[in-house]
Amino acid sequence: MAGRVGIDVGGTFTDAVLMQGNRILDKAKVPTKPNHLLETIIQAIDALKITGKQALEQITVSTTLVTNAILQGNLPPVELLLLPGSGVKLESFPWPISYQILYGTIDYRGREINPPDQLEWQRLLQKLHQQKNLSHVAIVGKFSHRNKSHEEQLAHYLRRAFPTLKIALGHQWGQSNFYRRSLTTYLNLASNDLFGQFASDLEQAVAARGCSAPIFVLKADGGVLPLSKIRPVESIYSGPTASVLGAMAQSSPSQSFVMIDIGGTTTDLGLVLSGEPLISSSGAKIGPYSTLVRSLAVRSVPVGGDSVILTDGSNFSLANYRLGPAYCLGGPAPTPTDAMCYLKLIQYGDSKRAEQVLASLLQPETRTPEKLRALASSILDVFVERIVREINALQQEWQNEPAYKVWGVLHPHESLNFHLWMSGGGAQGIASVLAQRLHTSVRMGKYPEVSNAIGAAMARPTFSCTLHLDTVLRQYRIEETGEQGQWQGSKRPHKAINGFLEEIVQREAQEKGIVLMDLHKDPFDFFPIVQGFQTVGQIVRGAFHVPPGVIGRVEE
Amino acid sequence: MKPTGILFFPAFDWSLGETHPEREERLLYTQEQLFEEGILDLPNIQQYAPGLAPMAEVLKTQGIFPSPQAQDLDAHLIAAGSALVLGEAWGKGDIRNGFALVRPPGHHAGATVLGNRGFCTLNNEGILVNYLRTHFGVKKIAIVDTDVHHGNGTQDIFYHDPNVLFISLHQDGKTLYPGSGFTHEKGGPNAWGQTINIPLPPGTGDEAFQYVLETWVLPKIQEFNPELVINSAGQDNHFTDPLASMNVSAQGYGKITELLKPDLAVLEGGYSIEGALPYVNLAILLALAGQDYTNVREPDQPRRPHIPLKTLKSYVSELAYEYKQAEPQWNVRNELYLPPGEWIYLPHSIYYDTEGFQEIRHDRVRRCRHCGGTVFIESRRPPEPAKFALVRIPFQACPECAQAGYDLWDTLGGRYQAVLLQDQDRNRIEFWQADQGVTAF
Repeated sequence: MAGRVGIDVGGTFTDAVLMQGNRILDKAKVPTKPNHLLETIIQAIDALKITGKQALEQITVSTTLVTNAILQGNLPPVELLLLPGSGVKLESFPWPISYQILYGTIDYRGREINPPDQLEWQRLLQKLHQQKNLSHVAIVGKFSHRNKSHEEQLAHYLRRAFPTLKIALGHQWGQSNFYRRSLTTYLNLASNDLFGQFASDLEQAVAARGCSAPIFVLKADGGVLPLSKIRPVESIYSGPTASVLGAMAQSSPSQSFVMIDIGGTTTDLGLVLSGEPLISSSGAKIGPYSTLVRSLAVRSVPVGGDSVILTDGSNFSLANYRLGPAYCLGGPAPTPTDAMCYLKLIQYGDSKRAEQVLASLLQPETRTPEKLRALASSILDVFVERIVREINALQQEWQNEPAYKVWGVLHPHESLNFHLWMSGGGAQGIASVLAQRLHTSVRMGKYPEVSNAIGAAMARPTFSCTLHLDTVLRQYRIEETGEQGQWQGSKRPHKAINGFLEEIVQREAQEKGIVLMDLHKDPFDFFPIVQGFQTVGQIVRGAFHVPPGVIGRVEE
Repeated sequence: MKPTGILFFPAFDWSLGETHPEREERLLYTQEQLFEEGILDLPNIQQYAPGLAPMAEVLKTQGIFPSPQAQDLDAHLIAAGSALVLGEAWGKGDIRNGFALVRPPGHHAGATVLGNRGFCTLNNEGILVNYLRTHFGVKKIAIVDTDVHHGNGTQDIFYHDPNVLFISLHQDGKTLYPGSGFTHEKGGPNAWGQTINIPLPPGTGDEAFQYVLETWVLPKIQEFNPELVINSAGQDNHFTDPLASMNVSAQGYGKITELLKPDLAVLEGGYSIEGALPYVNLAILLALAGQDYTNVREPDQPRRPHIPLKTLKSYVSELAYEYKQAEPQWNVRNELYLPPGEWIYLPHSIYYDTEGFQEIRHDRVRRCRHCGGTVFIESRRPPEPAKFALVRIPFQACPECAQAGYDLWDTLGGRYQAVLLQDQDRNRIEFWQADQGVTAF
């Protein structure tokens, strides 16, 4: 049986597992070198005892490459050209980047209201000619997901003048939201070169080790795609996503739980409802950028087992950074892990050192065992309170999901029985405190330290194909790919629409190189279009999707 | 600054008929427009999820006959419930203001409900107002109805309520459904002058609306000094509306909102689902959120005959004169079975256009100098013999009126098929049915 490798690049450590079916054959942990991610990944692969590398069926990587580049602002300049038409003024939104506005209006059904202005384009061209280092241009129009013609015309116009220009068009992000589409198109184009370089280096390095396994990348929505098929910006936030999948791979199906991954400096949270992770209803937000990247509803709390405890003499607080390992493990500063160690909630660490560093937070005259215990407990209480606040916010997000149909309001979420599922280095030490605070049980996998890598190894491809069809204007669009085409069918299709979309689904799956497991069909909505009291056609909305999930369950 | 709340509930699976103006498609393009504009990403806009109105809140405001179970209420309960969700957020101080962008509408639904009329069954604003009075202690409320049709249902609900100022601006009832809303309809004996109707001629546009607001509506509100202003934000004054003949633009609606500064706006009518709604809804929301709406432009231009501002000004001053001159003519009828006091008798009939029948109403209100006065309404739908009754003890009722209400409630039972007690003051809602006895809500 062929093996699978899962790798999760974390902020502090990079985890790797080698799996065969549902069994873990080997695991490894190497320090992450933030500026040398490729090297880190290769080291993690090398640290695994892989025999017969030809027999590997898949390597899946969850990487912070794009996340880091975006958050650190290491992106090449991109010229953003917007065609906002009428509506909300662009200045009403927070724009982290600059843009140029061009003329031309499309409406909500994709009809052209105002054509672009050719004179304006000539002026634009002159301006671009004067620009040094012009290499990337993103063009995004309001309602371009209904009609891409203005974007394509402008791209065509620019390409004639600048044949080597890298141009990205907004309609390829086909969900509604012009603001997010603009930022997403920008980010994806800006991270394209970086990711492309990483992908080819990684492929070469793996090939050089005699391994021909295809390399997959974990996406924010919990799915995996081949390295060459992923849109770079979709690889953001794969860390917390891997944690959720890791938890699913180590739990029985159909369970509902809150996933809590306690890392060194951050704690990641996710929600699994009857075996399916909660998806964020808007899209991922990264740094100042709101995007259309489909992602799991996850939250990061900037505290972890190695967070430094600060004190002003009387009160203490948890910093959102680490200076190294906990003091009880030879580190330089007091941390929650020292509190866990002192209270004997964990089996590792030097309890003498823990006591010593906790005592340093107290006035000399108050350093009694009772006070030390009280201090250690209150440190963990503060830690837990931060986590609980975000758990509540996450559950609120689930409860507050909007509904747009009568059926949806009359059939609200059933109340589910949640337990806590914990992973990460600090899980052991905080589990009992959290369980007490939330009056619920805590479960933990057998491999909390490589849970994310397990999640990467066991993740299956997700898939989503959403149709928007206007039979009066004879236009169809696919949200996920931005495909737009002519509808040849009837004005009021019923059964035919199913087959039409199924064909697109199969074509897309093949194009992406993935096998669709557990394909769901969302109920189709048919909106009669009425003109002058006559029904003249329909708008049809419907989708097929494969929810995030895992290919198996880890055998203990 | 606190955010503006938006509750978008388009009821995509509910219609009054496939080609009916109140159909699934109605807010489809509004959704496309709002979502494409990214309004939920604007700073200071907070989305809320819809809710279901509790039956107690509905019955506190409206008598549903023969019984709530006998009417198809699902979608209506969500529209009203959604208004309550925003009301709660406002009451708790979580939002600065809010827009319940919901279907179905409600402002034609009155104090008694025997069916659907003017596309409405439950009065979303009425239920909202009484909910906020009960749960958040709000005392003085102004409702401004800017739908092109007279807000006859809301008027009916608050006609005797001195603590609610109801102002309706609409296309003249001589030229449009429901054919009411004239200046002489000024309120009941205990709330005379608290209802103001401003019927406007076909062709009224942005400037004229602004003029009426600035010279008449806003001074009235200022004088009344309410704690809460509610806007029944119908959008059928738009120049493309197929059911009416006015000339207001999307930006005109933005201006109306900016001037009124409602705490809570609730969508009412508006059936130009392509030409107006996507733009008008956007303009209203932006105006509520304090954002610039001057770039919101519908593709069409007004083509209807336009009334010059000068003509309109003299028309309005005549209206104002008519309003001032209108004197009440109360018909006192102290029948033997009525509790002590002076009972004003107001018979009228109501046409239910959706299903095509007539409701005969005999309304009686106890004249009172201390409170809104207990209201007693008899209702029936001929030729059916069944009669229904409603006894309303108003918010801040005086002891005599409260006593009169309970005296009535005690004696009415056997003479009707169903009787509803609305003790708004003590939040006690009970419903008696001949075959089931009393149900407390």
